[in-house]
Amino acid sequence: MLQKKVCMLGSFSVGKSSLVRRLVESMFDEQYHTTIGVKVDKKVVNTGGEDLTLVLWDIYGEDVFQKMRMSYLRGMHGYILVADGTRRQTLEDALALNERVVAEVGKVPALLALNKSDLTDQWEIDPAREAQLTAAGWTLEHTSAKTGDAVEKAFLHLAQAMLAK
Amino acid sequence: MPAHSIFESFLAGQGCALFEYLGDGDFRLLGEWPDWCANIWGAQPNSDQPIGLAGKSPFLGNFLVDAEEFWRTRSPGSANSGNWIERGADGREIPMEATARSLDGKRILLLQNLSETFGQQQQWFQTARNSLLEHEKLLKEIQKKEILLHCIVHDLTQPLSAMNGVFNLLERENLPAALRKYIKAGERESQRQERMIRGILEAFSSDLAAQQSRETSAAEAPDLLACAKQAIEEFSPAFRERQIGLSLGAHAGSSRGWRVVGDSSRIDRILGNLLENAMRYAPKASTVTIGLENHEGFVLAFVDDEGPGLPPDQRPEQLFALFSKGKSHAGKAGLGLYFCKITVERWGGAIGAEIRKGGGSRFWFRLPRVSQSAENVTTAASRSKSVDKETPHSHKKAEKSLRILIAEDAELNRDLIIELLKKRGHVAIGVTDGRRALAALEEHDFDVVLLDEEMPGMTGLQTTAAIRRREAATGKHQIIIGISGHATADDEHRFREAGMDSSLAKPVEVKTLYKAVESAARNLHSTAAHSQPQHAAEPGAATAPAAAPSVAAQARADSSAHAGAENEDALTHLRRTTGGNEKLIRSLAATFLADAPKALGRMRSAVAKKNAAELASAAHLLKGSLAIFGAPKAVASARHLEALGRANNLREATASLRTLESEFALLQHELRAIHSAAKPKSQAPRQSRVSSKGARQKK
Repeated sequence: MLQKKVCMLGSFSVGKSSLVRRLVESMFDEQYHTTIGVKVDKKVVNTGGEDLTLVLWDIYGEDVFQKMRMSYLRGMHGYILVADGTRRQTLEDALALNERVVAEVGKVPALLALNKSDLTDQWEIDPAREAQLTAAGWTLEHTSAKTGDAVEKAFLHLAQAMLAK
Repeated sequence: MPAHSIFESFLAGQGCALFEYLGDGDFRLLGEWPDWCANIWGAQPNSDQPIGLAGKSPFLGNFLVDAEEFWRTRSPGSANSGNWIERGADGREIPMEATARSLDGKRILLLQNLSETFGQQQQWFQTARNSLLEHEKLLKEIQKKEILLHCIVHDLTQPLSAMNGVFNLLERENLPAALRKYIKAGERESQRQERMIRGILEAFSSDLAAQQSRETSAAEAPDLLACAKQAIEEFSPAFRERQIGLSLGAHAGSSRGWRVVGDSSRIDRILGNLLENAMRYAPKASTVTIGLENHEGFVLAFVDDEGPGLPPDQRPEQLFALFSKGKSHAGKAGLGLYFCKITVERWGGAIGAEIRKGGGSRFWFRLPRVSQSAENVTTAASRSKSVDKETPHSHKKAEKSLRILIAEDAELNRDLIIELLKKRGHVAIGVTDGRRALAALEEHDFDVVLLDEEMPGMTGLQTTAAIRRREAATGKHQIIIGISGHATADDEHRFREAGMDSSLAKPVEVKTLYKAVESAARNLHSTAAHSQPQHAAEPGAATAPAAAPSVAAQARADSSAHAGAENEDALTHLRRTTGGNEKLIRSLAATFLADAPKALGRMRSAVAKKNAAELASAAHLLKGSLAIFGAPKAVASARHLEALGRANNLREATASLRTLESEFALLQHELRAIHSAAKPKSQAPRQSRVSSKGARQKK
């Protein structure tokens, strides 16, 4: 079966591990458990009648304590850049990280997940900013690892983009 | 037990498994196959059989590329994989780490189960990151409260400003003396209330703002002696009126310099509060003295009075507590000294009060002195040099005075451009739309016309078309420069296609503006000197003078030269765009503070009433004003709201308006600081409108 390496990238506590857990195990934990290191999971998805194994690299979130090793991105077919929609700065951090990723591995299919979409009252990313990002070529999904909203859709979208490449 | 067996057992006991790399992703086990390996990868393989570890673990497979490179280059030391997690057959997560080494010419890989230490590491990271999240939350809460407070204060002060205005108007009427007395009293009280409300704002917002607005470099740090002199200058009339002397006492150790950590506008306010306090208690014919002393590491400033001393029922430190006030002055909010205390303490200083030996009281504060290190001096010198180089040049009078017409609906933008052009020695006339521009052109000759792209009634492009149509009959060519909210190459192209000669991006920067108008006019004159006028010009056709160097392109280059400009605060932005014209900056801030809330109010009302056209119009006006102060986020929100209004789509308008309001409140806060930093004498009347005097009347 065809396999594609997908990396989950973004700041700490934006919900990368939760998105993977929601996709792989259909589960969500309210409590925040920080990720140290890398955790690799697999998930078979079907897109266009074709089965595809996503090898999901859940890479620890960057912060003042840990910087990401670019060697983890080797052989990556696509990535999901995750930002927390209730913390505007995580979007800017994610975009800064994206620049380093593109410089390292070049252009590969990517999707921007604005996670925690269930927390509408705390949402900090305004439509104008989203419109800017879309205009800049980003595929955007409002995901919620908690409710499962748009999680599978986001991964399927990326899968299709990777297969189309 | 053989030595190697002891060693292998020891390694296994330490949670390690040792392998020799055979190539092609295969390994040979050296020693024991620990239980945790069995949990992850199954039972121990046959000792003769190579183990394909790279195939068993994608992470390890990835690390093997680095490890192979390490072994190939015979690098010293070791290569480390970083932590990763494997899941065992029993579902347990096993944290691991791989290390590659070369030993006796062999390529050795050590796999280590980190379960024992990982928990502790995890806990440490968890705690640290939770703290970061808590900190973020707290900052957000503070910011929310700040914005709320600003909104409340704004709502409270707005009627007072109106009342002050009414009192001012009444004062000018020819009223009986008794009535004038009442009006004066009313005015005084409303002003007092306004000061108290502002005091509340400053006291409660100083926590954040004070931290953000502190200078620690010698070049930028406030000079306490200069602040003291300024305070004396400002307060002398009030003291004289009360027949109290005010003087600057001896300042000891002056050779060391008086630069301290802090922010000059807030130091001014602290000194102001202490002087107001002294003025209330000092008896007639006495003297209040401001003194400075230079001590090791800090500067001490004090205000001495000859009054009754400190209240006997209060300890000195209680005077600086929140809402502390003397019984005889019940009208005071009790915030002034509290504001001084929290501000000074935020800067690492201290504040206090004491009874003077000879009678009276001393209120003092001390602030850390900023050392004039060689580096700072150099930086300051080079910075001042660059300012010297730029500012006078920017406002140097032009070689030739030009007559310039500006059509721009946003008042603040119009005023800014007019003022900058006047500084340069040009004659500038402002009108609010395209039709008025056409009317002005009927009446007067202008060397250059600046047209805003988006104006109500007749846009800049429509006005250009009308001007060019008229020129078909006269054969003249009017220099037209378009002003656009953007500075893209597409805009520039569009403007030229429409018949404009050049374009400028908003907010207009001083250097770019001068360059645009002067080079365009110069080109026109040189063309006129060398050729006869041509006729029947198509828009943008050959009658246009040799194109002025692409000003929009220059603006783009300038803006990229100001990398990070989008993060600069309003004051820095204004200093850059106005060439450091402080008077103009204060005037712009005052005008914005007075007018922009009305535009925002119009937008609120338009959203509430679902009036899309009104929303687009008000958002357009506000967008232009906001752009003058940088404020990219606020501008983007206003632009979005304008677009929503034009598209008659108000679904997202409430959320966008909320964003705009937040950004607006932050900008207001910055501008109030700029405004309040102004001396009272310069706070005054707004820029007077430019008259048409000076433009050449058409015969």
